[in-house]
Amino acid sequence: MLEIEDLTAQAGGFRLGGVSLAVAEGECHAVLGPSGSGKSTLLNAVLGTLPVVSGRVLLFGEDLTRLPIERRHLGYVPQHLGLFPHLTVLDNLTYSARARRVPEAEYRPLLDRLTEITGIGALLDRRIATLSGGERQRVALVRALAANPRLVLLDEPFTALNESLRRELWWLVKDLQRERGLTVLMVTHDLTEAHFLAERITVLIDGRQAQSGDKHAVYRRPANTAVARFLGLKNLFPARVLEAGGVDCPLLGGRIGVTGSTLPAGEAWLAIRAEHVALRTPADPPREGETRLNGRFEAVLDLGESALLRFRAATGAVLEVRCGSRVLRKYRLQPGDAGVVGLPANDLFVIPATTPAA
Amino acid sequence: MKGLRASIAAALLVLALYAGLIVSLAWFLDGAILRETLLSERTLFSVRLSLLAATLATVLALLLAIPAAYALSRHRFPGREATETVLEFPIIVSPAALGAILLIFFNNPLGEWIQENVLYFVFGFAGIVLAQFVTVLGLAVRMLKAAFDEVPVELETVARTLGASPWHGFFTITLPLAKNGLIAAFILTWAKALGEFGATLMVAGSMAMRTETLPIAIYLRLSNADLEGTVALILILVTIGLTALYVARRLLGKAAYA
Repeated sequence: MLEIEDLTAQAGGFRLGGVSLAVAEGECHAVLGPSGSGKSTLLNAVLGTLPVVSGRVLLFGEDLTRLPIERRHLGYVPQHLGLFPHLTVLDNLTYSARARRVPEAEYRPLLDRLTEITGIGALLDRRIATLSGGERQRVALVRALAANPRLVLLDEPFTALNESLRRELWWLVKDLQRERGLTVLMVTHDLTEAHFLAERITVLIDGRQAQSGDKHAVYRRPANTAVARFLGLKNLFPARVLEAGGVDCPLLGGRIGVTGSTLPAGEAWLAIRAEHVALRTPADPPREGETRLNGRFEAVLDLGESALLRFRAATGAVLEVRCGSRVLRKYRLQPGDAGVVGLPANDLFVIPATTPAA
Repeated sequence: MKGLRASIAAALLVLALYAGLIVSLAWFLDGAILRETLLSERTLFSVRLSLLAATLATVLALLLAIPAAYALSRHRFPGREATETVLEFPIIVSPAALGAILLIFFNNPLGEWIQENVLYFVFGFAGIVLAQFVTVLGLAVRMLKAAFDEVPVELETVARTLGASPWHGFFTITLPLAKNGLIAAFILTWAKALGEFGATLMVAGSMAMRTETLPIAIYLRLSNADLEGTVALILILVTIGLTALYVARRLLGKAAYA
């Protein structure tokens, strides 16, 4: 397994500080963050292209921190794939075996299996320049895995692809991970990609580790507003946790019941995900623990599979609402329509007031 | 539209200027003298000397320039900027001044010691090679650095993750991908060394049948008002130079990763 212990690394004027995380054997861990948050710096420190200022990188107990790149036994797929353009696909795939002088009988079975799974068997004699985008991704993946690495590092390798091809490759990586029991550390700025491939995620903000944990836990309960904003949370409102229980949020109409908050009394932010805001009609009977807000839909966007709405409550709060396109059609909402939304207590949560929300 | 026409006219004027100058040589071109000059022992000596000295100077320059250019392309180190600035030195300082600097160096105690105990440079073959080497080294490093800059560092990193040592990665990835730039650098450096005059004159002098490279031979024949002989030698030099440029352009024009 991979253990990163209090790692600090410097890349030019940028400093990534105090990152600690562990990736269990056979697990995929995604490092997320906006541009300039230190994702690539972290990956490069693990890879060995960037000197570590302090801290350690351990792989199955072995300290990699001062080990040359070629002795770390890592599989690496960079953003631009790094395929060798002057070599054929086969020469790319067998580069590691030749560099390490591994006999063909030893590497061939794994290589054959990988080319079979990824369906690149017919491409082996081709030059890299003649491959399509998806074919190149597959070749880069197989090349990294053919060396039988102890850890696979993926640096946003699917960024340049269209949505359909990306999904296809996500499935492929998922299948390969399952079959080969791969331990993967991936860097991405795409939340969906991270959710698809990883079990656990780490969010970096401004060179600091903002939050790490199970992907669902991080998504449901961001540790602070910076993480919340990066994870796409728009509905954040200044509030106060009350000693007597519950939260006072003037923008949402006053005292509100929140399930499961463990924050001490004091300043905080009250949050709810757009997809958890429920569309209601004035005729709908009240539901237990749900806060109802009257107001007006300022904008209605049908995105195909889903719809995005902007709702201005009579209390002054502006909420983002996400629902299925079918739901939108059921309510026949148009911009400017008056309406009602419901905020279920189970879906409201409180974020510490350590950073400003706006 | 007018601007476009004017700029194209300017480009064609450049072509006409150089082509016109070469064609103007025909005024003094005499078939018999041309044949006689080309086949004379003195001319053949100059051609042999020039080819040998330029090739040796180029090979030596590349041996130093390849690692230097790679370091400048890939690494940050103390003195990097100063080194890059010094590469311009042979461009801003005239070759004659560069040759004079070398000559003066061989008159100081260290230079004299080198001449007596290592190799005698002044007024000899070694002096010609040294003068050409010093003149072309900066150009060679600059061209090679540009060739290495074209190869993404990422490819070397990937090679290392696949188990290649830095040397193995350099020889199997970087060098093959920089191949065209390397060959072009060799050709252009060699062509510049072949045409080198000022520094050679200062360090090696202008002794017939001894330090008489092609440019020196042109100078000596012109000094004796032998215009027909001068034209013959110029044509040899121009032919070799243009052929080298043509080959280099063909190589540089090819896609780097073809």
